[in-house]
Amino acid sequence: MEIIIVRKGEPVYPDRLLEIKNPPKQLYCCGNLKLLNSRCVAVIGSRTSTVYGRNTAKAIGRCLAAAGITVVSGMAMGIDTCAHEGALEAGGKTAAVLGCGPDVCYPAENKLLMADIQRRGLIVTEYPPGTPASRYNFPNRNRIISGLCEATIVVQARNRSGSLITAELAAEQGRDVFAVPGNIDSQYNLGNNKLIKEGAIPLVCVEDILEHLGLSGVSEADARSRLSDREFQVFEILNQEGEMTVDEVCLKTGFSPAYVNPILSVMEMKGFINSDMGKFFVKNTPCK
Amino acid sequence: MLTKVRTATLSGIEGYPVTVETDLHSGLPGFHIVGLADTTIKEASKRIKPAIQNCGGSFPGEKVTVNLVPAGRPKEGSHFDLPIALGIMMLGSDVIELEDTAFIGEVSLDGTINGIRGALPLAICLRQAGIKNLVLPLENAAEASILEDINILPVEHLKEAAEYVSGIRKLPLYIRKENEREYEESSIDFAQVIGQESVKRAILVGAAGNHGILMMGSPGCGKTMMARRIPGILPELTYEEKVEITGIYSVAGLLSPEHPIVNQRPFRSPHHNITQTGLIGGGVRPRPGELSLAHRGVLFLDELGEFDARVIDSMRQPVEEGIIRINRNLEEAIFPSKVMMVIAANPCKCGNLWDSRKICTCSAHQLEGYRRKLMGPFADRVDIHIKVNPVEKDNLMMYGNGMSTAEMRKIVCRARALQAERYKDETFRCNGQLDEKGIRKYCSLGKESKELMMASYDRLGLSMRGYSKILRMARTIADLSESDRIETEHVAEALMYRVDLETR
Repeated sequence: MEIIIVRKGEPVYPDRLLEIKNPPKQLYCCGNLKLLNSRCVAVIGSRTSTVYGRNTAKAIGRCLAAAGITVVSGMAMGIDTCAHEGALEAGGKTAAVLGCGPDVCYPAENKLLMADIQRRGLIVTEYPPGTPASRYNFPNRNRIISGLCEATIVVQARNRSGSLITAELAAEQGRDVFAVPGNIDSQYNLGNNKLIKEGAIPLVCVEDILEHLGLSGVSEADARSRLSDREFQVFEILNQEGEMTVDEVCLKTGFSPAYVNPILSVMEMKGFINSDMGKFFVKNTPCK
Repeated sequence: MLTKVRTATLSGIEGYPVTVETDLHSGLPGFHIVGLADTTIKEASKRIKPAIQNCGGSFPGEKVTVNLVPAGRPKEGSHFDLPIALGIMMLGSDVIELEDTAFIGEVSLDGTINGIRGALPLAICLRQAGIKNLVLPLENAAEASILEDINILPVEHLKEAAEYVSGIRKLPLYIRKENEREYEESSIDFAQVIGQESVKRAILVGAAGNHGILMMGSPGCGKTMMARRIPGILPELTYEEKVEITGIYSVAGLLSPEHPIVNQRPFRSPHHNITQTGLIGGGVRPRPGELSLAHRGVLFLDELGEFDARVIDSMRQPVEEGIIRINRNLEEAIFPSKVMMVIAANPCKCGNLWDSRKICTCSAHQLEGYRRKLMGPFADRVDIHIKVNPVEKDNLMMYGNGMSTAEMRKIVCRARALQAERYKDETFRCNGQLDEKGIRKYCSLGKESKELMMASYDRLGLSMRGYSKILRMARTIADLSESDRIETEHVAEALMYRVDLETR
């Protein structure tokens, strides 16, 4: 994959990075350069995380990507990985900002993910090719993550997590900081909950961020026009109920699974609904 | 002085005819059995001598040689006792014409005839060889009586058999009791399953096209309960199928006097610590494994994730080919293994991943490991993958009566009849067995359904095998609605029968 150097002053150099205190002189990029100037939101968090945190990160990644927002993160294990994966799953855009050279995969477990991001998104770093990952690079790298984005979401962070540094930098740069509220019994959520205490915007449902960015989910009018009558009928029920299993849809409508199954399948292909863990739900509806 | 008695021996689940030649000649007293006899047959000499004497007969004081023809093929089994004993007792006395009579049975020291393993396959091969009368232990009479054109003459004691061959006694013909052939309605029924109509629909598709089914869901949501009900919705066994399955069970020694004939589709559910031999068969003298015992029925693997990966892998070829070949020193045993594969698995190691009321305690590493083990090449060959969700408490009372087993069986039979008609000139009989060539020939799509397939190809990242699976299922779904063409809605429904397991 070709590595492209983007220097400060060139037109592709992201405008938002120019607004920060110490913008990098050059960026080593690999992938779709258009993403540098697209609407970006950072989704970050600790490497050690809980299922709740990872699922949330994935859901946020999916939701943002489906709405056309570029999901920016650091490709670390845990929350970062999930955010990227969520975005890719939804067929959306994602950018990874690395603390090493653009040709170095850190952590090595994410080799496949990195290849995927190169192919379908963008890899960005200020370090020249061959630079190994070093713990001193990461705090520096964090200013680029927050600097590229309109808003930063901290999904889950422990007390002294690097994500808190990113949040701090974002606030300094005048960007919005969101934090996902977590269970107060768990030390994994100490950092993000503390951010809320200090004034970050609590993300009480995934779609909050879309509302904040001035985007809403699948609109009913859109559904009305692109779905057939019988599809729309099922769509409306899903929209009202939130998430449902096939059996629950059948129960509610009185239709047989043989009738409902093809409808759900087609709506999923058309991109109106998603399925996860055996349940179906309308894509990014504003929360009820 | 020479006598000949006809009998047979087993090779796998098939028998072949054997003639027992007995000769008496001068020399030191002795008893020799030749013709590749195994240990049980060699030991017959020790059983037969006292048995003959305890019946009031006398054992010759000269040299006795027994030869088992054909001498070059290995023979096994205690059922050679009776023909060898009779061969010796007939020496030097008048006997009736025995050209179309065969004998099988094990002899006790007091002359009682004991039951044997594999009586039905032996009877089948003897019938083919032109035998009209079969003398066999009373215990095995019921199972052999499933055959219609051979006289079953049961004996309980060596003396009866001896008197029969010398013409003193006539043996009564065994008359089959009527209830032995009835189809017993099972007490378990799909109507007892509350909710889960979508899973029942998937099962209906699986049964109609003989597709394998993989059910994934948290513990206690009813996977095993539904699996047990699947044999009930498959078409009734034909006479030939009953004979075939009873033969396998006879060789495995699983027939009892209460159930001498298998007249319902088998349901086998091996425990997850089963060995490779236990599952696909084998041993020094090859015996059928669980795969063959489930032939023409359902093989249910509960908790697929717990099975040894190597054992699971060894099933791949037998399940695809419907046949198992086992080679042992001089013989090759062939066992049939045409099964409907039904698999249940938890979504993760602890089982709670999809249950909104419980918390999954698996680490990312465990989830990945579990997914990798479950979604291996074996599960990939199973057509239908479905999620089974627990029924919510609030909905429990709202579900009415679902489809019953009888209704589902009717639908399955209709779809199977359509397939049998369509594939009458082919080697396969069901949509589940369609190969690439068959798919091209019988699963053509219209323009709109092709577009849907293409969209899903990109969106789901389907493999070529995944693509074929969906076409096969779509064919069955079309058959269920008795449609000649595969319509878009059939493809769309087939697309529902896949599961993506979460990793992290």
